[in-house]
Amino acid sequence: MTNETNIKKQKLTVKELITVGIFSAIIFICIALSGGPFAMFPALTFYYPVGGSLLAGPVYLLLIAKVPKSGPIFIAGLLMAIFCYVTGMHIGMTVGYLVGSTLADLVALSGRYKSIKINILSYIVFCLGGTGSYIAYFINPEVWVRRMLEKGTPQEYLNTMAATVNRWILITMLAGTVLVALFSGFVGSKLLKKQFEKAGITA
Amino acid sequence: MIWSVYTENRLGLQFDPRTKIIMLILCVISATIAPSLLYESVLIFAVTVFGCASGKVRRSLFCAAFYGAFYMLTKFVISLEKGTLYTVFTSWLGLFYTVYPCAFLASIILSTTKVSEFLTATSKAHIPNKVVIPLAVMLRYIPTVCEDWGYIKDAMRLRDVTPSLFGFLKNPAMAVECLYVPLLMTASNTADELSAAALTRGIENPTPRTCLIEVRFRGRDWIATVLAVCVLVLGFIWERIV
Repeated sequence: MTNETNIKKQKLTVKELITVGIFSAIIFICIALSGGPFAMFPALTFYYPVGGSLLAGPVYLLLIAKVPKSGPIFIAGLLMAIFCYVTGMHIGMTVGYLVGSTLADLVALSGRYKSIKINILSYIVFCLGGTGSYIAYFINPEVWVRRMLEKGTPQEYLNTMAATVNRWILITMLAGTVLVALFSGFVGSKLLKKQFEKAGITA
Repeated sequence: MIWSVYTENRLGLQFDPRTKIIMLILCVISATIAPSLLYESVLIFAVTVFGCASGKVRRSLFCAAFYGAFYMLTKFVISLEKGTLYTVFTSWLGLFYTVYPCAFLASIILSTTKVSEFLTATSKAHIPNKVVIPLAVMLRYIPTVCEDWGYIKDAMRLRDVTPSLFGFLKNPAMAVECLYVPLLMTASNTADELSAAALTRGIENPTPRTCLIEVRFRGRDWIATVLAVCVLVLGFIWERIV
């Protein structure tokens, strides 16, 4: 049997499931800690995914290093999605995390879960999942605002929105997320090499 | 004796966890389609009633009062008509109104559901173990991380690393290591211990789970579900009535 089929066929044991649960909790806390303050302030709310990707990188990489099989990333993303759904974040975020984690899992699979570079790339994809609800917002800002006003949105407001907010914030948000995630992944890979591989807690 | 500890220390009605999950889904849909602020208030009222029925009276009333304050703020912001404050706040408040009812309901549900009860309900609802085990572990582990954080801060002080933003700026590499290494080491050790404990308690047992608390659909569950569906339907036909 080749290595590839080996990875695909292995089922997750209970121990690995518990590991995934614990690491998902830490990833969740990291995202909430670094992204939460952004989401609270009206002016900064669009930079939530940028802030959110700052802390979780090392945790994510260690999770892959501990459970190098297909599944854990998707399960972690699924848990995030469930959490976002339950706390009533916009449905776009739930879908975003599901799609993001599925893609991230596939990306990591392409490197057999061993290549650090590809794992960092997979982390970037995972972080981009967090932009789901904001992308949904940019597709149709009218619907988002309409309910607030009950009697229709003033044209002036929509014009300002379309002119200033639309393009640049979206680009800054996506580019910022990629850069911050790359940085976080880089720090993570250094930590992994320096500390965790020596300590022998990677699988 | 143990039985009474399990059943009688909770005030109010107990609902089947599956009812709660269904209600949460309905609530999310209602909050997403909510056509007006008034409907949003109806939704909040319904959640408050559910919270009081589950015995979380004080928390429900507090959350409802908080919503009231926000409602006033929104009215004020809308009355401004234009200006920076108006522009900035409208989109953010839009987010707030989709999040708040569900977060409110979720906090009531999380505080009234025991993990074992939840696991039994999910296994009855045929949700695969692959999802349920990590979810249960995650919910249990989040408070533990917060506890560990205190110990990590103490340890950092011992080694003369300031656990604050200033210390981070002074020596980022050191601060990062002192933060992540103990956090992830503990996590990885806990995973080993927890899985050993779970295996000893028969988590891989193939027979169906049992639970001391009876988990089944009762009359009150049906009533709660029907009422939640009514609120959702009201949201769909709201514009035709008002």
